[in-house]
Amino acid sequence: MPDSLLSLEGLTKRYAVTVLDDVDFDLQGGEIHALLGSNGAGKSTLCRIIAGLTPPTSGSMRLDGQVYSPSGKQEAEHSGVQIVQQELCLIPTLSVAENMMLSRMPQRLGIIKQGELRQQARIALDRVELGEIDPDLPAGKLGVGRQQLVEIATALDRQCRILILDEPTSSLSGGEAENLFRWLDRLRDEGIGIIYISHRLDEVAQLADRVTILRDGRHVCTQYTEGLSTDEMVGLMTGESPAQHSAESFRSYRTDRVALRAENFSHDQVVRNVSFHVHEGERFGIAGLVGAGRSELLRLVFGADSADSGSLRLGDSGSPLRFNHPHEAVDAGLAMVTEDRKSNGLLLPLSIRFNASIASLASRFSRGGLVRRRAENETVSDVAHQLDLRCRDLEQATVTLSGGNQQKVAIAKWLVRKADIFFFDEPTRGIDVASRRRIYRLIESLAAEGKAIVIVSSDLDELLETCDRIAVMSAGRMVATFSRGDWSVDRIMQAAFSEHMGKTA
Amino acid sequence: MKRTDAVRAAVQYAGLVGVLMILILIFGFASENFLKAATFVSIANQIPDLTLIAVGMTLVLVIGGIDLSVGSTLALSAAVLGVLMADRGWSLWASIPCCVLTGAACGLFNGAVSVLARIPSFIVTLGMLEIARGATKVVTQSQTKYIGSSVEIVSEPIAGILLSPAFLIALAAVLGGQFLLSRTVFGRYCIAIGTNEEAVRMSGIRSAPYSITVFVLCGALCGLAGLTYTSKLSTADPNAAIGIELSAIAACVIGGTSLMGGRGNVISSFLGVLIIAVLQTGLAQIGMTDPMKQIITGGVIVVAVLLDAARMRWSDRKR
Amino acid sequence: MYRALAFCTLLFVGCSSNKQDASVTAASDTDKPTVALIMKSLANDFFSTMEAGAKAHHQAHADEYDLLTNGIKDESDLGRQVALVDEMVAAGVDAIVIAPADSRALVPALRKAIQAGVVVVNIDNRLDAEILQQEEVSIPFVGPDNQVGAKKVGDFLAGKLSQGDKVAVLEGKPTAFNGVQRKLGFESAMQDAGIEIVSSQSADWETNKANTIAASMLSEHPEIKAILAANDSMALGAVAAVKSAGRSGDVVIVGFDNIPAVQELIRERRVLATADQHGDQLAVYGIETALEILGNRDAAPADVETPVDLITVESFAE
Repeated sequence: MPDSLLSLEGLTKRYAVTVLDDVDFDLQGGEIHALLGSNGAGKSTLCRIIAGLTPPTSGSMRLDGQVYSPSGKQEAEHSGVQIVQQELCLIPTLSVAENMMLSRMPQRLGIIKQGELRQQARIALDRVELGEIDPDLPAGKLGVGRQQLVEIATALDRQCRILILDEPTSSLSGGEAENLFRWLDRLRDEGIGIIYISHRLDEVAQLADRVTILRDGRHVCTQYTEGLSTDEMVGLMTGESPAQHSAESFRSYRTDRVALRAENFSHDQVVRNVSFHVHEGERFGIAGLVGAGRSELLRLVFGADSADSGSLRLGDSGSPLRFNHPHEAVDAGLAMVTEDRKSNGLLLPLSIRFNASIASLASRFSRGGLVRRRAENETVSDVAHQLDLRCRDLEQATVTLSGGNQQKVAIAKWLVRKADIFFFDEPTRGIDVASRRRIYRLIESLAAEGKAIVIVSSDLDELLETCDRIAVMSAGRMVATFSRGDWSVDRIMQAAFSEHMGKTA
Repeated sequence: MKRTDAVRAAVQYAGLVGVLMILILIFGFASENFLKAATFVSIANQIPDLTLIAVGMTLVLVIGGIDLSVGSTLALSAAVLGVLMADRGWSLWASIPCCVLTGAACGLFNGAVSVLARIPSFIVTLGMLEIARGATKVVTQSQTKYIGSSVEIVSEPIAGILLSPAFLIALAAVLGGQFLLSRTVFGRYCIAIGTNEEAVRMSGIRSAPYSITVFVLCGALCGLAGLTYTSKLSTADPNAAIGIELSAIAACVIGGTSLMGGRGNVISSFLGVLIIAVLQTGLAQIGMTDPMKQIITGGVIVVAVLLDAARMRWSDRKR
Repeated sequence: MYRALAFCTLLFVGCSSNKQDASVTAASDTDKPTVALIMKSLANDFFSTMEAGAKAHHQAHADEYDLLTNGIKDESDLGRQVALVDEMVAAGVDAIVIAPADSRALVPALRKAIQAGVVVVNIDNRLDAEILQQEEVSIPFVGPDNQVGAKKVGDFLAGKLSQGDKVAVLEGKPTAFNGVQRKLGFESAMQDAGIEIVSSQSADWETNKANTIAASMLSEHPEIKAILAANDSMALGAVAAVKSAGRSGDVVIVGFDNIPAVQELIRERRVLATADQHGDQLAVYGIETALEILGNRDAAPADVETPVDLITVESFAE
């Protein structure tokens, strides 16, 4: 195709790991081109590179046949490339109009021309049939779906030739989504090239002209949507199961004793009536797409958020209970290694010792309110050794450690605490391969000691390698549970998409 | 391990002690009577109230809060002491607990409202600043209460050691505060809460009781400061300690306490108090005009903080 | 008394953003004139006695006028006092009796009040004559001559010292006219007696600040024999400084205002003397002058000088 609007060749992006590997891609004017792939396949990275948000490690891009290498978002916008990202970027306290015109305020001598500002915003909103949105309203007062529409309207208002939409319908109602599709059709007719990312395969089948499928950062295929079923799409996304390689080496430590049984947990549509149980010595994985409600489920059980409903039992005995604060969960022997170490997992500016002992000070390292420094040092030092923690000394601030070693400190906190039931939320996100192996071994040794383990991960290989059973969540529901031996990547992915394929599949 | 601890401590306090020494030397040159015992006795007599408040403020800042009501709380505690002793004829020993409890009650209000209702402590204590000052005027009927010699023993030098009980109380608060912060479970939790309260919660620790206790402690220390202040002047003054919160925050900041929480050292704050006190006394002794006093005091605060920041960078690089 | 107190508290809690101490002691009645008394800090003893005196006078003459009293939170809150003047004019009072927090800053606001037909009487702190002239208004001053009062205190002190002795002065706020007058009075008394003032610094009328500064003065000039404080609050600070320097009985202190706390110290002979300008009567003199002017609006308003008495231990002898 010589007259592609945009063509990418050999695009590669490496961080600690390669997230995009030698990918080719092209986009025609007047086409809607969907990008598909499971979590971490490299879709968002690809879009970020095109939008100038991050530079590629290698490879080249051409726009209208000219070499295109934007140095930043502004330059990309100047070339006519607009992106609407998944996360909302509106400033909640500014008005809708101010948000829409933020980078190009109509002004004279630094004073904003209010009338013109409002008028321009009005026109931009009307163009996409958002006549009912008041441009003077603070953006934060709008619902999430409306905010997303305002962002899309903002992008459309600028001179654009390429529009990138990353999961635009994730928070839209059915009607709003239908509306969006109509505009997209119209834009396509105007000759604009649209790159569209969505987990909703039915949408893709209905809307896109072509799909490009990525898997593990590699280009799998580019096909016309016509004649491609959603099931086939899932098949292409998952490919052949790579899970066999570890199957022989896996050893189960699962016992018959149930350690924790959670029943009917619900919260706000994010988690819908989910029940599960985990045995002592068992590693229980929870798979699903981003936003399926997996982390939220763990937080509900752990008492970090308050559930609308749900109860749990510990062990065989005991009456149903619910934790209202994490301290109750911790006292009952639960531990949670959180997904986001920075915001709620670690006290980053403080030392390794401080972090590792904080959960156990009262129970293990104090006498009459005083900290027993020697006992603390000895225990933390033992655990650090056991985890193969790479550090200068235990007084080192955790912020200076690598991601993998930070994660080890987060785990060390609970080993020191001698917890019985471990929740791991994305235990190896952003961690190099060597530390990842170390953490898998550690999880295995915990299982061997009879601890019950629940792992939420977006990396399916990780779950396939480490777990006895894998449950799958989709749009807040737990839709399937597979035991080792009767799972396949295909079946897990089908389940993960199941709540999104309702209508067409 | 022990040696590195000692080295670390030395480095930690070296900058502030250096600033203090430089100030003393400058005033020593500028005024022939500065380097005399009388000056230092006078400084030791001036600082107990600010020291006690700076200890409380350090603890509050460490948990990521702030207490703007310290001056009014001091005045209210002092007013209670003054009324009990001057009007009701209570003895000193019976009045002191009431004085300290008054401060603690103000702190309890601050802590309970800000922690339980999740209102920033800045706002709650700003309210308390007005409430306690108004209550002070109600309690004293806006009259300065002259108590006389019965309260003076607290600030009179003890024979033989030249130091007053007030100074010793303040010193004990400094050492106790530092011990609390660095050696106890309570102190650990305070630092952790100020660093990242959500991470503390997810570690299975309830932060509310600790945060509230810190505010109560700060209030009780204000109450003690009310005692030393009253004793220093023999009178309970309804206008006492207006603006002392800013001096206390300045002392803490000079001492390297972070206004964002999670970092603070009571001994450093005490060194900050000493720097401020030496400046005040020295500038008055050389008869500096009022505007110049203010300019120089402000300048020294900024320079001390700059030096402290430089020291931190230096010691980080050394590690 | 308790009801008034309770009312004060209510007001304070109810509108803590509204920072003045206010109390209303009268039902509004259209026949009687309303006099607004605007004072400086009600937390200061001097002004609270003044208020009490005014209220007592009002109670005795309740059929003649209505009284509104207002004060500001602390003496340096000028803006609030200016606002109070405007508010009283807006409230339609007939006369304003004011103890200005600043001898200059209040003049424009008072000129506007006069233009609105309100009778204005100046008490306590005399407004600056030059500014009054510039603004082309004349406001009668009712009050003591602070310089004369300070001279009396200074002369009495000089009698206890000998020629060539050295003393220090604690000044009030440098911007306040009465503070400057008192300082001048002290200075002329010392000059007459041949006594040297070796240090003179402002302690902003505040006890604690005076304590710090007096302590520094004592260590810098150990030879000083006396400290002259421009008000009694500062004298209290000086007493404490002298005590902690171990110089009680050795360094003599005088003050100004005759507040109750200092009366006790005079009895204990820890303060030598102070001046009583009859603060409790000051507002009354002002109110009476205002009522007089209201009764006879044609007469040119003239200044009224009120007595200042020296208070020493002999004053309590009877």
